[in-house]
Amino acid sequence: MPETYENGTEIEVKNLNLWYGDNHALHDISIDIPKNSVTAFIGPSGCGKSTFLRCLNRMNDLIPSCRIEGHVNVSGEDIYSRETDVVDLRKKVGMVFQKPNPFPMSIFDNISYGPKIHGMSKKEMPSIVENALKSGALWEEIADRLDASALDLSGGQQQRLCIARTLAVKPEVILFDEPCSALDPISTSKIEDLILELKKDYTIVIVTHNMQQAARISDYTAFFLLGDLIEFGKTNQIFENPQKKETEDYITGRFG
Amino acid sequence: MFSNAKLNEKIAFALLKVAMAMVIAFVVIILYDIISNGYGILSIEFITSAPRKGMTQGGIFPAIVGTTYLIMGSMIVALPLGILAAIYLTEYAQPGKTTWMIEMAINNLAGTPSVVFGLFGLAIFVKYFGFGDSILSASLTLALLILPIIIRASQEALLTVPKEYREASLALGVTKWETIRKVVLPAAIPGVVTGAILGVGRVAGETAPILLTGAAYFYPRLPSTIFSQFMALPYHLYVLATAGTNISQTRPIQYGTALILLLLVLFVNVIAVTIRSHYRKKLKR
Repeated sequence: MPETYENGTEIEVKNLNLWYGDNHALHDISIDIPKNSVTAFIGPSGCGKSTFLRCLNRMNDLIPSCRIEGHVNVSGEDIYSRETDVVDLRKKVGMVFQKPNPFPMSIFDNISYGPKIHGMSKKEMPSIVENALKSGALWEEIADRLDASALDLSGGQQQRLCIARTLAVKPEVILFDEPCSALDPISTSKIEDLILELKKDYTIVIVTHNMQQAARISDYTAFFLLGDLIEFGKTNQIFENPQKKETEDYITGRFG
Repeated sequence: MFSNAKLNEKIAFALLKVAMAMVIAFVVIILYDIISNGYGILSIEFITSAPRKGMTQGGIFPAIVGTTYLIMGSMIVALPLGILAAIYLTEYAQPGKTTWMIEMAINNLAGTPSVVFGLFGLAIFVKYFGFGDSILSASLTLALLILPIIIRASQEALLTVPKEYREASLALGVTKWETIRKVVLPAAIPGVVTGAILGVGRVAGETAPILLTGAAYFYPRLPSTIFSQFMALPYHLYVLATAGTNISQTRPIQYGTALILLLLVLFVNVIAVTIRSHYRKKLKR
């Protein structure tokens, strides 16, 4: 496991265990996620990679039977401590979901939703929306119809809208939970380009089913299997020179 | 075997069609009866003047106004209360004994005869709180009567709001309450409005509860405050059709009253359906 990163560490996880009721779903996960880089979580379905991703912004809190032990530090703060405000945490650690999930509102209202609730003034809204849509690589396609319903956009546009919506809240970290699995190849490559652009300013963690995608866009890759973190390292090392047999079996397509 | 299954299907379809035809036939017959007998008396005077000469002449304006007030009054109380209760039950309440008891209470409330609500309203609002025989007492009583309908419809509506909307909002660092207020509730409005439509029908048509809480046999003025007594269309109809010595003489007025009652409910529902389709359009791609 790499110890020091060029840009420093954003997220430190120590001995994280997670249970759904009696089901021990994540076993003693420890991992350091680097700043301003793309870290990919790969592994077969049900390996716990999405569950682990949702530990990083405490989305698992929504599941009543879920119990978590261990430490997760995001920029030095223990997010599972009593003093942590989940609402502030989620502002800092944004999330983009598998299925594009714009609100049934206009494009403008989708983007301004977060900033408005977080107290930004109405006057600033047009520029916030414009900047977010530009950063989300969507501005040029829809600048002339901000009042149109977000539900009228294509799937790929909707997903970029969701990314822009997350950016508008000014997070430090963005978690992507299989963001391209519902999209066609062209939309997928647009999102991948966007992620590479975003890593200059944000720390990106992406769960993906698609190993080529992990190889294309990530700097570091973590391989999960049955609730264990099997191997974590630089992406080219993981794909070219895996240290563990399970990793090699998975990336060479022997299972999964 | 195969042809047997086909025959069964044909019989089943035929039965369904007969059932459907009967339902439509009954509605048509009732509507035809009311419209054909009530149409003749409809006039501007009928809907804008008070009853005269022992209610054998004149119009039904006070009853129209009374029923309109009851609809508004009970909705003002029942809608917010019902929606908030539904939010609590679907979004906040933990499954357990207490929640189960609340759910059971709502089910029982829905099955309680309306005259029992009337007696309750008489005891609590009219007597205990001292609101007297009044629009206020009757509206509150009717609000309780339709509360289960509003709660159930709102619960159903909240449950059908996709989980994705909630997750998207929460992941932006928005609190649960803001998420419910800004995302979940707007998406649930069509279902809530459906509940309100059912409620309006109940409120406009109920007779027993208002009979005990403030509807007047004859009150040819307009209610001046919420503590006034009032006339209402269903009770006026009941009075004309059963009491007094001029039952056959007032028959056209009875039919006219029934027709106006139907039209009033229709009018309110058209407004509600317009609101609903406006929101539905926003929710669909």
